[in-house]
Amino acid sequence: MRALVVDDSAVMRKVLIGALSRANINEVDQAADGLEAVKASAESDYGLVLMDWNMPNMLGIDAVKAIRAAGKTMPIIMVTTEAEKSRVIEALKAGANNYIIKPFEPQTIVGKIQEVLDKA
Amino acid sequence: MKVEYINPFIESTYDLFSTMLSSKAIRGDVGLAKPDANPRDIMALIGLSGMARGMVALAFPVDTALNMVNRLLGTQIRIIDDTVSDAIAEMVNIVAGGAKAKIRTDMEKPIDLSLPTVVRGNNYNVDYPSGSVWLEVPFNSDLGSFTLRVTFEMEK
Repeated sequence: MRALVVDDSAVMRKVLIGALSRANINEVDQAADGLEAVKASAESDYGLVLMDWNMPNMLGIDAVKAIRAAGKTMPIIMVTTEAEKSRVIEALKAGANNYIIKPFEPQTIVGKIQEVLDKA
Repeated sequence: MKVEYINPFIESTYDLFSTMLSSKAIRGDVGLAKPDANPRDIMALIGLSGMARGMVALAFPVDTALNMVNRLLGTQIRIIDDTVSDAIAEMVNIVAGGAKAKIRTDMEKPIDLSLPTVVRGNNYNVDYPSGSVWLEVPFNSDLGSFTLRVTFEMEK
């Protein structure tokens, strides 16, 4: 399975790629903002997307809406510092499948990834 | 700035260290930040807007910044480079994001975060807008010392 990691922080992308590796997902593409994510998801079939919220050019929440509007059904996990309940609800309404708040412990994110993939 | 507004930022700093850095941050006394205080070697700043306005800054000596990034990534980076700046920016983003959720959870519209900015060097000044009050908290940890600075007001 191929995954897409979307975060404007290259360091956070590395951290998330490490977590995916621990979940035995080793084919990973990267995008640095929402626009790149929408383009990448149109060009490739991903089995999982990890999506930040606050990014330049296009917010993660808008990218989720665009990906769903394009008919893509892969699981999307928001991984963000936006911790308010209203943000979680907004993301789930937009089509995200799960929500991870930064900061996180590595084992937490691996567990969430496996949980989402088990449901998919 | 009400002094109690600093607490969510302190708690959020603790959270960052205990989760992503497997470390424990220990705070010193809260005080007023002095405009002419040594801003340290690398500083990340992020703005807050919307229902509140303010700014959060994390300032690190080089050694602390390198230790944090190496702990986070399992690397042996020895100089401040783009990776270190990127990591420091993400850390201030995490501290501000966690704090704004702790400040008020009943607001219809959450406080917005700007994209973080990083300043590095050992001979720069940070000038604060006139009228703003910044609080400063020194921290120590097994990764080294650093400073948290916050100015924050709820919109009326």
